[in-house]
Amino acid sequence: MAFTSWAFVALAAAAVVLYYLVPRRGQWVLLLAASLVFYAAGGAGGFVWLAGVAAVTWAAGLALGRLNRARAALAKGDRAGAAALKRKKKAVAAAAAVLCFGLLYAMKYWDFTVDLLPASVGGRLPRWDFVMPLGLSFFTFQAMGYVIDVYRDKYAPQRNPAKYALFVSFFPQMVQGPIGRYDALAPQLLAERQIDWRDIQFGLQLALWGYFKKMVIADRAAVLVDTVIVENCPYGGAVIAFGVLLYCVQLYCDFSGGIDITRGVARMLGIELAVNFRRPLFATSLADYWRRWHITLGQWMRDYLFYPLSLSKPFGRLGKWARRHIGGLPGKIFATSLATFVVYLVIGIWHGANFRYIAFGLWNGAVITASLLMERRFQSWKAALRIDDKSRPWRLFQMARTALLVFLGRYLTRAPRLLTALTLLWTTVTAPHLSQLWDGTLLTLGLSAADLLVVAAGVAVVETVELLQERGVHIRERLAGCRGFVQWLALAALLTALLVFGIFRAGYISSEFIYGQF
Amino acid sequence: MRAKIIEILTEICPGIDFEHETALIDDGLVDSLDIVSIVTELMDTFDVEINVEDLQPENFNSVDAMVELIERAQA
Amino acid sequence: MSPKKWLCMFFGTVLLLAVLLAAFNFVTDPFGAFGDRFLQWFSYDETNNPRVAKTTWLEQHHDEYDSYILGCSSTSSLPVEAFNEYLDASFYNLFMYGADMRDCEKIARYLVEHYEVKNLVLNVYIDNGVTYDDESNGLTHGLHYAVDPDTSALEYFTRYLFADPRYGLAKLQARGEDTILPQTFDVFDEATGVYDKRARDAEPIGSLASYLQAYPVFADYPQSGPYGLYQTASCMESVAAIRDLCAGAGVNLIVVAGPVYIDYFDNFAREDVAAFYEALAEVTPFWDFSCSSVSCEPRYFYDATHFRNNVGEMIAARIFGGDAVWMPDDFGTYVTADNAAEHFAASLEPTPLAEDAISAQVPILMYHNLAEEGDGGDTMSAANFEAQIRALAENGYTAVTFDDLMAYVYEGADLPEKPVVITFDDGYLSNYELAWPILEQYGMKATIFAIGVSVGKDTYKDTGNAMTPHFSYEQAAEMAASGTISVQSHTYDMHQWAPFEDGDGPFRETILPLPGESEEDYVAALTADFTRSRSELEAATGQPVNVLAYPSGAYSTLTQATLTELGVRVTLSTNPGINTVVRGLPQTLCGMLRFGMNDTVTPEALLALLAG
Repeated sequence: MAFTSWAFVALAAAAVVLYYLVPRRGQWVLLLAASLVFYAAGGAGGFVWLAGVAAVTWAAGLALGRLNRARAALAKGDRAGAAALKRKKKAVAAAAAVLCFGLLYAMKYWDFTVDLLPASVGGRLPRWDFVMPLGLSFFTFQAMGYVIDVYRDKYAPQRNPAKYALFVSFFPQMVQGPIGRYDALAPQLLAERQIDWRDIQFGLQLALWGYFKKMVIADRAAVLVDTVIVENCPYGGAVIAFGVLLYCVQLYCDFSGGIDITRGVARMLGIELAVNFRRPLFATSLADYWRRWHITLGQWMRDYLFYPLSLSKPFGRLGKWARRHIGGLPGKIFATSLATFVVYLVIGIWHGANFRYIAFGLWNGAVITASLLMERRFQSWKAALRIDDKSRPWRLFQMARTALLVFLGRYLTRAPRLLTALTLLWTTVTAPHLSQLWDGTLLTLGLSAADLLVVAAGVAVVETVELLQERGVHIRERLAGCRGFVQWLALAALLTALLVFGIFRAGYISSEFIYGQF
Repeated sequence: MRAKIIEILTEICPGIDFEHETALIDDGLVDSLDIVSIVTELMDTFDVEINVEDLQPENFNSVDAMVELIERAQA
Repeated sequence: MSPKKWLCMFFGTVLLLAVLLAAFNFVTDPFGAFGDRFLQWFSYDETNNPRVAKTTWLEQHHDEYDSYILGCSSTSSLPVEAFNEYLDASFYNLFMYGADMRDCEKIARYLVEHYEVKNLVLNVYIDNGVTYDDESNGLTHGLHYAVDPDTSALEYFTRYLFADPRYGLAKLQARGEDTILPQTFDVFDEATGVYDKRARDAEPIGSLASYLQAYPVFADYPQSGPYGLYQTASCMESVAAIRDLCAGAGVNLIVVAGPVYIDYFDNFAREDVAAFYEALAEVTPFWDFSCSSVSCEPRYFYDATHFRNNVGEMIAARIFGGDAVWMPDDFGTYVTADNAAEHFAASLEPTPLAEDAISAQVPILMYHNLAEEGDGGDTMSAANFEAQIRALAENGYTAVTFDDLMAYVYEGADLPEKPVVITFDDGYLSNYELAWPILEQYGMKATIFAIGVSVGKDTYKDTGNAMTPHFSYEQAAEMAASGTISVQSHTYDMHQWAPFEDGDGPFRETILPLPGESEEDYVAALTADFTRSRSELEAATGQPVNVLAYPSGAYSTLTQATLTELGVRVTLSTNPGINTVVRGLPQTLCGMLRFGMNDTVTPEALLALLAG
């Protein structure tokens, strides 16, 4: 069920209305029911797998909770008992991880692995033919985050399987995140609440904003992107670069728009979901970019991969070795940098089973690690050049530099194959054919001049709003304080843009084509 | 111990007023990479073990919190 | 503003936008779904969705019709006027492009249940065996809810009230660009329901080679098949339903299988094709035109899948026994269950028409003024003229008239072995004094195109400047009575010469519109001019005037279409060349080519021209 379908709008509307009508004790049940409807609409086949992951993690949580309680009950100084319990906990958590990540691996990466093996070996291995259920990645990450947190004894596990099911399956959230933390999300989902009309207003506004980004900008830009970024692309490098630029626009507006819709619908239910995007265009470094882009994934990776990895025994030994043999700052941060590199590699692979995602991970890891290792040197250069870190031109330079690095990385995620991505990149540099930017070629790529104008205007609106937010303005609060007419104007403009440029974007056939030119 | 900690912190993250800041993590002054570097240094310097479970913002938001963390680990 | 108030504002605005959208769609009504009350532009609506717009048209105009034609787009060429005449009925062509037999059945039921229906003509096309009850774009291919039991009124109104507003916008924009002749956005003729083919039917047609060049689709026919005729059974069920419906309501049902271009059959297995038509014969007897020698001739088709209106005329004539229309002998067979197998065993392998069986090469000579002494230019010496005529006679040429050409094209009459047409432009007195006697002497016929305003004059009408003398109406009548000369139109006053006209102009030097003249004004002026030219000439000679030579040879599609509607059957340009006239295609008499004859052309040179 796509966010842009009338079915989703109807489901969300019905959920919101009924949520405040049913008895308070039943509110969370209603949310669970709505989530089940959402998944049922996506087909029953995938549902089984999700239910399996939920069952495994729920059971693992219960087991870990029991072990945690046993640990707390141990007499002080019972080192042997504590160690034995720790071993058991490790076994339970590992079993859950192997099952859940194993399934994810099988769904996403098994066939890719088989193809990598020599045909004599790979040909004999069975292939994984099951269709991956919608949102399995997010589902697994959220559920495994819960298991690890319980393992770390951060909180007590959820005993009620239905309540746990709601935590992992909350319907607006599961397709593309944000990845929720149990301690932040579950209490909100299970709370009994009274209607706060402000929630409805702000939630609706956020969702409309998301629809605007998705339908007016992203879906429109996608047409040109799909035409340009193809194998054997016939266009010059400048047009390709323009295509990738629009892809950046498309990706951001589609993803963050979807998250806005998710958070907006949740907000209407009185639920505040985690922030997933914080104006990535304003990032001053690639590392900063990843703290602003898909934030919940980055935090997940930090808490559940980066920390354990960099504090693990082997990394500790590696760190000691580096300090002795490399010395200086590089020696001190060597192990950390390596862990960072691994994290970005995993983030790359997380995107999908393809060499270009591995390359994408390597690219991000390499740039970020390199900047870590070179930081001191940059500092001294800056001092020598008397550059003021806080000055606006420098900040703009940093933003532009970061945007360029991200832009280059996007060649990898959009092209159908790694080779195509590299070819496109090569063409961009070696054969730009700049004149194609103004000789009308751009208008032959599926978008009319009016469409390009709509995209440009849409991006301008989005970035103006983000600039204000970056300066600390709370848009919705500020707007709510405006005169009624201004509020109406803002609403009417957004709704009209959605109607004219969003809902009726595609599907129009001009009359000379309708009757087939006879 | 306090002075030693501040010395370590200043080396890893120069230019931050560690004496008085009480929201080092929450305000984003110290990021995850720094935390790992700090933790490694602390473990080395004071010869204690700090677990992943301890990597919570509240344990690193101020120098005092870190002192407390180390004292707990030493016990 | 309180959040509650904001929410009210939100829902109010949503409602407002919905109402505005619905109102806009209702007013512009680009699909004719609501009766197109404000613009009343059905030719546009029908282009967007013929199913809905024609139903709406009928709701408003059903009392003008008592008979209907149904089928897919090739059905358009079944001529309403001819059917009206033969059956003394008033037909409406209710064809819908892309129609399948389920559409036809629904429409037929709707017609019989709601309106008076005397005759129903149903065209069954081979494609009806390929698609059936096709669910495609509802906006453009959906049926009216009154016609379609599968479409609820709610669904219908939602679909058209909340349609993409760009359709309405495009309609408003097209209104500003509307012309008299059809464009891509208004291809229908509202009153008859057929495609408005005035422009296509006015285009000059000549040799096969030039036609293939203009329409390369026939030379390199697209093969998109093979298709299976898997829907034959469903299609025939619907035909049977229509048959029973008509029988029950006393409606005269005529089933026709319209001509299919021969190469189109290559998309199917031949035995499937035969099976399809035989299945039709099992359901109802029908007139089969699907495959004959006509199918093999590209010039009888507008494009890859649509036969010409002229072929539609042949169909009507075959069905009703009209003898004024030529057609090949193998065109049209009444097929019943008894003779179907035998018929289709033979008919699907037709013999193409020989080029000389349907077409003739006809050169036309264009003379102007004669004098005892030629001027080395357009004024030819009488001696040279006589020498040329003698050369023609001695070399076996027969001078034919435009009546002869019309008889050949319309009725299939024969032409002599070596035909030639002799014409004179402007109507000079010398034609009467010098040319006529010579023509009489050699038994050669000729046509003179007189300019109405200068008949009998030797001065310009307003300024009194001298000009070459022109013969009078009495002299014209004298020549016409002899049978040697036909006097036809060179316009009444659309061949002016600026230096000797009164006033500042602009002047009508040719038949083309004046700069900046609106189409309506132009058509009115042209109509008035030609009507006067014709009535004065006809009054003088007592013979019909239906041939016009374009002054200086210039004309436009609108000129040709207007004159065709006024009853002009032959028009002549001044472009040189030999004409190919084709039986069954009156367009081959449009904008005909002529060799300009002047004093420098020797008889030998003339013969060389005619030899090609």
